[in-house]
Amino acid sequence: MAFELLLGAWVATGLTLFIFTFLYQDNPLLQLAEHLYVGVSVGYTIVKTYDTVLIRLIYEPMVKQGDWSLLIPLGIGTLMLARYVPNVTWLSRIAFAFIVGVGSGLAIPRIISSFILKQVEDTVRPLVSIVQGEPVFTYNLLDPSSNLNTIVLLIGVVSVLFYFFFSIEHTGPVRVAARTGILFLMVAFGAAFGYTVMARMSLLIGRLSDLIEYADPQYGRPSLWLGLATVAIILLWRAQRREQPPDTG
Amino acid sequence: MPNTLRDLATMNFAERMLHIDRRIIFLVIGVCTLLPLLYPVGLAIRVSSEVRGVHDYIESLPEGSVFLLSMDYDPASKPELYPQAVALLRHAFRKNLRVIGMTLWLPGTGLAEQVMTQVAREMGKVSGKDYVFLGWSPGSGSLIINMGQDLYKTFPTDYYNQPTRELAVLKGIQTLRDVNYVVSLAAGTSGIETWYVYGKDKYKFELGGGCTGVIAPGLYPLLRSGQINGLIGGLRGAAEYEVLIGQKGRAVAGMDAQSATHFAIIVLVILCNVFYLLMKTSRKQGEAR
Repeated sequence: MAFELLLGAWVATGLTLFIFTFLYQDNPLLQLAEHLYVGVSVGYTIVKTYDTVLIRLIYEPMVKQGDWSLLIPLGIGTLMLARYVPNVTWLSRIAFAFIVGVGSGLAIPRIISSFILKQVEDTVRPLVSIVQGEPVFTYNLLDPSSNLNTIVLLIGVVSVLFYFFFSIEHTGPVRVAARTGILFLMVAFGAAFGYTVMARMSLLIGRLSDLIEYADPQYGRPSLWLGLATVAIILLWRAQRREQPPDTG
Repeated sequence: MPNTLRDLATMNFAERMLHIDRRIIFLVIGVCTLLPLLYPVGLAIRVSSEVRGVHDYIESLPEGSVFLLSMDYDPASKPELYPQAVALLRHAFRKNLRVIGMTLWLPGTGLAEQVMTQVAREMGKVSGKDYVFLGWSPGSGSLIINMGQDLYKTFPTDYYNQPTRELAVLKGIQTLRDVNYVVSLAAGTSGIETWYVYGKDKYKFELGGGCTGVIAPGLYPLLRSGQINGLIGGLRGAAEYEVLIGQKGRAVAGMDAQSATHFAIIVLVILCNVFYLLMKTSRKQGEAR
């Protein structure tokens, strides 16, 4: 087996076990893994950004291909750094104005079109379908496009909107609508929570699957040896803490 | 939380259960996950229509069609999205599609490259001829807009610094309009929504999605309105896709554990509610006396 694969298996196993020690309590192994994670993430981001942005997208097209028009975005981007020079801080506003202006111009119409108009269009579908000139009503709750689901969706949207309508007191029919809205919200929160549980369990399954795979002799059984080492270090650390006098300062 | 043993002794059974050390619950969940992974049962996996939507669209594409897979995730979401990427790439390579890989997430660049090369090697595909990995470039939304205008200006070189204009796999492709199908495997923003807002809505290619379980409920409205034609949700979705292509992998292997942990959590939720009601009842009885 290649050395980098072996090393990767040992590092991944060790860091997984160190992070799992949090389930017991906060400890130096956990802090080591956390600091490594932050350090490696930031280091990786800096190197990739430097290589992709500064070298591939700016330096090489300008110097090797003579595309000097890139000096304009480079100049605007560099103005951002003026924030760190007190006398010329105002220059950074030009860059921010450019970013906010272009960003808003690009995003606002597209987001309105995609998430508001399209969704409104989907909410106000015909309540009865016309098939071969005849009105048809479909009842299948499992089919998202059935007529019954269209009605459920319409009631849900309207009642939730009523719940968030604070200009009038929630009494009488408004109270009924708002209460219905709460029911729909609870179902939505329940679905979101269920999916979140599923996602978190998937992460646990992923790590445990790796630990099982790395318990194989071809990797040198890092799960076993590092597991034992982790337990031993935690026990030593606990024993050492008990011996230390409590901090009175 | 009880502070002393005396506190614990004065509590009734329901109260003691509600104040149980949370590490016991961690242990229960850990055991429920580990045992099915070691001794799989092989519970049945039913394929949902949203996962079938992505599969069927890829299945309908003729040989040589252009498939763009945007792996918009980082290592934190690997257990859910990596099996999805493997299954989709296996399917696309088996169909002899021209595959373009990329990512909108900088921290995921290495992972995305790894999965592409690994599956390509397994399927006997060659970089530059059968597939290309473009890597990461900054901008997300504006990057997609640029790709819609000129793919080669946006990515002058691929991840391995090969000029993209010279790659056989990109022959005849000028912009995103020439791409037949885009699938974004998203762990958040930027992801499926970004590809829809700045890509599909403007350049009119077909879009599918894969995502982590956490963001799946928020994407169902896009599915119902037809803004995406399919959605692979979490590890469960990946398992369904593996079943569809007939190549069972890590996702299917994890489904027994997923079911066991869900069952354990449902039992814990029910027990908590029962103990809570018992506690309330006994308190009321105590007050009445």
